[in-house]
Amino acid sequence: MSAELVQFRLPDVGEGLEEAEIVAWFVTAGQAVERDQPLVEILTDKAQVELPSPTAGRVESLAVAVGDIVKVGTVLVTLSAASQPATAAPATAATPRADSPPSASPPAGGPALAPAAAPRGAPPKGLRPKASPSTRRLAAEMGVELAAITGTGPGGRILADDVRGAATAPGPAASAAPLAVPATTAPSAPAEAGASVRAGTSVGVGIGVGDPLGQLSAGVHPLRGIRRLTAQSMAQSWSSIPHITGMDEVDATALLDARRQLREHAGERAANLTPLVLLCLAAVRALRRFPLVNASIDVDAGTITVHDRVHLGIAVATPDGLVVPIVADADRYGPIGLGDAIAGLSEAARTKRLRPEQLRGGTFTVTNYGALGGRFATPIIRPGEVGIVGFGRIRERPLVVGGEVVARPALPVVFSADHRLIDGDLSVAFQEHLLGLISRPLTLLSEV
Amino acid sequence: MVVGEVAEREDVIVVGGGPGGYAAAIRAAQLGRKVVLVERDAIGGVCLNVGCIPSKALIEVADRYHAATATGEAPWAGLTLSASLDWNGVQDHLRGVAESLSGGVHTLLEANGVRVLRGTARFLRPGRIVVDPGGRAADGSGAWAGAASHHDYDQVILATGSRPVAVPGLALDGERVVDSTGALFATTLPASLAVVGGGYIGVELGTAFAKLGVAVTIVELTERLLPGIDARLAQVVTRRLKALGVAVHTGTRALGVTERGLLIAPAEGPSATSARAATHEPAAAATTARELEAERIVVAVGRRPNSDDLGLDHVGVTVDATGRVVVDARRVAARGICAIGDLTDGPALAHKASAEAEVAARTACGIAASFDPAAIPAVVFSDPEVVTVGPTVEQAEAAGAEGVRSFRFPFAASGRAATMARPEGHAELVADGAGTILGAHLVGAHVSELAGECALAIELAATVEDLAATVHPHPTLSEALAEAAHGLEGFPLHVALVRRRG
Repeated sequence: MSAELVQFRLPDVGEGLEEAEIVAWFVTAGQAVERDQPLVEILTDKAQVELPSPTAGRVESLAVAVGDIVKVGTVLVTLSAASQPATAAPATAATPRADSPPSASPPAGGPALAPAAAPRGAPPKGLRPKASPSTRRLAAEMGVELAAITGTGPGGRILADDVRGAATAPGPAASAAPLAVPATTAPSAPAEAGASVRAGTSVGVGIGVGDPLGQLSAGVHPLRGIRRLTAQSMAQSWSSIPHITGMDEVDATALLDARRQLREHAGERAANLTPLVLLCLAAVRALRRFPLVNASIDVDAGTITVHDRVHLGIAVATPDGLVVPIVADADRYGPIGLGDAIAGLSEAARTKRLRPEQLRGGTFTVTNYGALGGRFATPIIRPGEVGIVGFGRIRERPLVVGGEVVARPALPVVFSADHRLIDGDLSVAFQEHLLGLISRPLTLLSEV
Repeated sequence: MVVGEVAEREDVIVVGGGPGGYAAAIRAAQLGRKVVLVERDAIGGVCLNVGCIPSKALIEVADRYHAATATGEAPWAGLTLSASLDWNGVQDHLRGVAESLSGGVHTLLEANGVRVLRGTARFLRPGRIVVDPGGRAADGSGAWAGAASHHDYDQVILATGSRPVAVPGLALDGERVVDSTGALFATTLPASLAVVGGGYIGVELGTAFAKLGVAVTIVELTERLLPGIDARLAQVVTRRLKALGVAVHTGTRALGVTERGLLIAPAEGPSATSARAATHEPAAAATTARELEAERIVVAVGRRPNSDDLGLDHVGVTVDATGRVVVDARRVAARGICAIGDLTDGPALAHKASAEAEVAARTACGIAASFDPAAIPAVVFSDPEVVTVGPTVEQAEAAGAEGVRSFRFPFAASGRAATMARPEGHAELVADGAGTILGAHLVGAHVSELAGECALAIELAATVEDLAATVHPHPTLSEALAEAAHGLEGFPLHVALVRRRG
């Protein structure tokens, strides 16, 4: 078998990426690999990505270890590439027939950056997973890659249940460009993590992964993964943004009532219409009313950028740490569509299937810390944004209504603004407007 | 800012009202969006107004006329028919069918709350489109029909379609040299017709006009007719064309128009330069070039996307070397912009555009969707008709499928085909080693109506066993598919299996 050594380097998998952390190796030295077989999992600025092998062949040596932080262009692994799939066949005993047509093989040798640049290469051209359109749609919705599933139907047809099974099982099929968040339902890090590296996205990621909240053994631990990224970005925010935070409370009776009516009216279609969705809608409407709150400021460049659209970040707490998936163009949704969008992102976050682009480009953030409890908080603004609104837990409190003290569901609303751009007058006006929209949800209809 | 440049705000703007555009507009409206559809011409696009629909109407007319007037064929089943042809009546019929369908689409758009704007749309910048209401007023005075309007959008779906490709030396004049539309809606029926291009449009038109008594010649550059279609299917069609008296010149290049007709030469013959010389100095090229008599010449050599005048460079949409808008599987071309149909890569077919419209509408409404069909059926309304869905044996093997096999059931063994006196052709199924049906390739009378079942089987990844065990009604042509499936199982009922060697 003629072979050529290929050095596989860290590709630039996202705009502006300079370095990435090695999260897990899926192969070991001496192992035979197929083209497009995942080699290694890396963590970039916010997304966890599997890099597929650019070629069929054998792993000669691994150049970096789990936990290493490496620059783009660094050699990750050396492969001996079979120069022709035909001659490679004996080496890949598991599947003697190459999945890809011969013409699809990349030229061996060279840095081999281009073929590997796409996270988790597209399924090989030609052979198409056998599945009906409804099953394909289900797979797309659940973020499951059909090519990685073995169908149990006649002739190897992939059935809907196969897709559902793959979605719940941690594994290659369900991990296309996943986010570094283990499923909340599976506080992973199994004892045999080393053995099941395919599933072990958490291997070597450092603290917080799958550990019960606040639990970590005494001693020094590496700062890795989402914890490291969060640490960097929060420190940057806190040291550069002078925060001003306002706190208030609003009667949520009408909001809860509106939500109930919408649910009754729209039935199944409104299955994802939670109170948070209406609160997000109110935030979006308030941002349309005060565009300067939906902006960025760059003191060095001397510019203020007011954003045309609202790309709304939703802060989600996971066992791995804080994740903020973005509802792109949140301002074009009505309540039902926004609910579906948020539910889709939450599901993707829970099942680790957020795509990198779903974590980029936010213009404003909402944190629903009240889901965990608590009344008032001082949310920290995400770098690149100038505001963040937080909602506390709705609890019955004595409120004055029509001169009478009555028990009403009270919603704490807090708003942090970047004082470099937003003064107290605007901050208060924004928050008051938001409170007004929440207390009289019918007014949401009158907003642009 | 110019005074009066007030933009209306739209959720979704669909540009182009063909089978892709109107489907996208209706679906987006059904998904709750405020939708505007911009169409510069007639709702329904090329397909409905000047393409698929009127051409099929003409084919039907030609079939009936030919059945009644065919000379040289013995009277069939004791019937002697006669027919007369009024070309003006044919024209009225073609227009009538198109207009009634276009009106139906109009009603559907209205019923779904889609606003239709007449005019051409162009991007000014991301987020804004200007609609120019169609150049000139109808009175031919050259005056603008109205003021341009500005529209801000959340999402745009581009569905501007395609137009025929021009051939050097064969400039269209709308009289003698026409495109397929010009041939369909010509004021007179010519005595002779030269068709440049032996693809499906050329073959369909050539067949129809031959049946109407026109002396037809088809000129095709490649070595056979229907070059994109499996040769085993194409040869049945070619045989029938020749029986209809159509002259077929394959491997032949059309060089230019002459006073009497069309100048042609072997494809490997004179280059374009010497072709020009040949036109001016016929004697010099006499050895290879020759003249075909033709009263009218139809140019049908392919189509190119309408991507030039949309202002795409203002919004970051990528266009490939052939002018097609580059999209991903969600049909997204740029932020907030989807594209579908002939404007994008893939076969220029109405049903492909409509299927992509569904995906684009969902994408534009924030619903996860992607266009990844197992197969896009292709139908040729030739005589007999041709259907091809999915790969042939050769294509399946080249794609890496294992254990590929096929079975061809001849319509000569079909009871229904016998009753129609149409025994020619066959139905072939292609399956992989696991028995999953990958492809279907049919040639025979009325097989276009079987294309849907073939596509369904392939799209659902049905197995040979599934299809064989599905009860097919008798006597229908669809039994041929079940028979082919039985054949793949090794137990065909209505044909004797030739025992394999060894």
